[in-house]
Amino acid sequence: MFRSVLRGAIGAGVMMAAMASASAQVLEIGLDNGPTGLDPHLITAFPSFMVVNGNIYEGLTAVDKDLKIIPGLAESWNVSTDGKTYTFKLRSGVKFHDGTDMTAEDVVSTIRRVQSKDIASPLASRLSAIDSAKAVDPQTVELTLKEPSAPLLSSLATIAIVPSEVETNKDILQKTPVGTGPFKFQEWQPNGFILLAKNDAYWQKGAPKLSGLKFNIVPESATRQVGLVNGQYALLPNIDAATALQLKGKPSVKLGETLDLAYMLIGMNVSKAPFDNPKVREAVNYAINRQEIVDAALFGAGVPGGPLSPALKSWALDVKEFPCYKPDPAKAQALLKEAGVAMPVTVTMNVLPRQDVKDIAQVVQEQLNKAGFKVELKNQEQGQFIQDWRNSNFDLFASINAGSPDPDEYFYRTFRTGGSTNVFKYSNPEIDQLLDKARTLSDQAARKTAYDQVQKTLACTGPVAHLTYGTLFSAMRDKLQGYDVMPNRSLSTLKNASY
Amino acid sequence: MSRILLSRLIDLVVVLFGVSIIVFLMIRLIPGDAVAIMLGANTEITPERMAELNSRVGLDKPIVQQYLVWAGAALRGDFGTSLWTGRPVATEIITNLWPTLELTFLSLLIGAVLAVPVGCWMAQTRGSGMDVAMRIGAIAGLTIPSFWLGIVLILLFSAFVPGFSSLGYVPFSEDPFGNLQRMLLPSIALALPILANLSRLVRSAMLDALGQDYVRTARAKGLSERTVVYKHALRNALIPFLTSVGIMTGYLLGGAIVVEQVFAIPGLGRLILGAIAERNYPLIQATILVVTAGFVLVNFVVDFLYIVVDPRVRA
Repeated sequence: MFRSVLRGAIGAGVMMAAMASASAQVLEIGLDNGPTGLDPHLITAFPSFMVVNGNIYEGLTAVDKDLKIIPGLAESWNVSTDGKTYTFKLRSGVKFHDGTDMTAEDVVSTIRRVQSKDIASPLASRLSAIDSAKAVDPQTVELTLKEPSAPLLSSLATIAIVPSEVETNKDILQKTPVGTGPFKFQEWQPNGFILLAKNDAYWQKGAPKLSGLKFNIVPESATRQVGLVNGQYALLPNIDAATALQLKGKPSVKLGETLDLAYMLIGMNVSKAPFDNPKVREAVNYAINRQEIVDAALFGAGVPGGPLSPALKSWALDVKEFPCYKPDPAKAQALLKEAGVAMPVTVTMNVLPRQDVKDIAQVVQEQLNKAGFKVELKNQEQGQFIQDWRNSNFDLFASINAGSPDPDEYFYRTFRTGGSTNVFKYSNPEIDQLLDKARTLSDQAARKTAYDQVQKTLACTGPVAHLTYGTLFSAMRDKLQGYDVMPNRSLSTLKNASY
Repeated sequence: MSRILLSRLIDLVVVLFGVSIIVFLMIRLIPGDAVAIMLGANTEITPERMAELNSRVGLDKPIVQQYLVWAGAALRGDFGTSLWTGRPVATEIITNLWPTLELTFLSLLIGAVLAVPVGCWMAQTRGSGMDVAMRIGAIAGLTIPSFWLGIVLILLFSAFVPGFSSLGYVPFSEDPFGNLQRMLLPSIALALPILANLSRLVRSAMLDALGQDYVRTARAKGLSERTVVYKHALRNALIPFLTSVGIMTGYLLGGAIVVEQVFAIPGLGRLILGAIAERNYPLIQATILVVTAGFVLVNFVVDFLYIVVDPRVRA
């Protein structure tokens, strides 16, 4: 009886597969986690970002796969000579998914929405430089800044333009997003899937080619892998090296890769001993062997990196510029002696509960223990980790951070005295001065000089030991063409993809 | 009869009240609140924004007030809305309830229905090589974790049955065949331990019954072995069987979390797990209450079935 059921099921399975390939236009995507909501101004975590960014919503500007700023909903812009007035010319013929035209008024109300206290958007600080926004005519928006802000264009790429009707509505976009993107929201089955359909009125001619995107929420890694291999899913975006290596060489499966903007880091609490002493922080850097971490924990898929991702080619310094990046346990011990701390230096390291972070924490523990430290690892539940992180309740922590395309976004909030995510309590007048100055410069070369100095200082004695930038993989079926993996994990290139 | 019904109803109310308080407090004792989790470890957020977000979802009020507001609404049948999505909690539970109910039903069907003949057979062939082999099989069935079995089944089917859709969920009403196809493997993964457990139970209860005087009498009056086993002995052996089925149903209704994870089925287990991970308080509270009520009700039904099966209980 069982056998006949099985045989029936097998026959049906083959039939279903044949039917499925005839209408294979909706791209089946396997995601490990479902989003908490779809309001692009409220939920900023990766699962939500991957669904909405560039697919449902677009910003005034956009970034290409090399993270260069390109026109988005604005087709061009002008910056006044004092750097305080930005004038954006909007693309014509852009419609929201509800059929209304996208106009300057929508842009202005979007900016007000992100800045509003009621909406409480975590993105508000990205627009803190904007004093006022004005619709000059239906196709022109003028932004007036309190002071020049070099990272503004990059920040605007992450601010989704929404219809003006929702300016004060807190809930509606969480459930039913309405944007201008190549795909429009169709259905959300919590814990099941999110289905987006093709936006026939999309402004870019010939895009999108796919008739829809279906984000299947599949928590188990083994299940996602099998689903890709047997063709049930066509794309597993932004997976780690271990998973990618397992899928490498499987029939009809190919890998796409790019250097990740996100990085592994060890954070140090400089508000208390022993890491209040810059020599101890420098010793940590000398004790760490970054290439060994890449080999042991990332399976060779990654590179050692400093405060900025090597993916940011126009900003990042080569790690050879940082003397402390040459592993030297003896030098580390000598620095600890100079610092006058009792050896072994006993400290606790909080570890973010992610497999890659746990692996790296173990390698770092080993390396530090060889250089005069005694590190105890504390594997924490996510909520506990975040709470301790936010309250600066740690000696060391091991974590992964998403990077930003512009140096200011990361540096200012993390290393400026009183910065919003400066949980290390780091304060260095020289860095403060450089950061304050650099964000007002519009000359790229002058900005680079300032950020070069910042990188050099932070690399060895800053509160963060930047470890590695991993290779970011996406695994997909052979047939999927035109999709590029992006360092910021956006899936916005899917609008040009075909399957 | 009505007295039993009434006392059960009072039990239900007391249990639900107790559970609601425990859940309400416990989930708030876990470090990391809803706002912190939603923001993650990597946002440019100020303490003021955190406070605004807290007040947005009503977490800035004293905890007693939060409980009273919630319990008051719940008594009127309003379980509130999911913390960030604003979807009604009742809707979320109902959508996630169907896959779990179906999974529970199918795995019990496979497990319990097969357990009776298998258990009887094991009892009849006691001591033979077949009995030993089946007992070893039963122990294996009990000890193999469902999630492992699930992954192995997925791998096997993907290797030998190309095109078999084993992952995810489609409602029966939309696509009956696709639904059953996707339910087959998880049901087997869940049914195996049930089958193992219940068949051992049936076996030992049956051995007990077969040693009784009335069975000897039945044999003596020339009834066939089949009638003796299935008509006379089985009925007595069913009481512990029913108790176990009741308890298992309760657990299965709580969502076979791991199997739902492995097969990507949007059931109650994943709803609870996801809700706990994101500290979605209204959703956690309501879902656990529903599961608790289900557990108590199933046990009530089982008590009632005792009366049907065993006339002695009626007295």
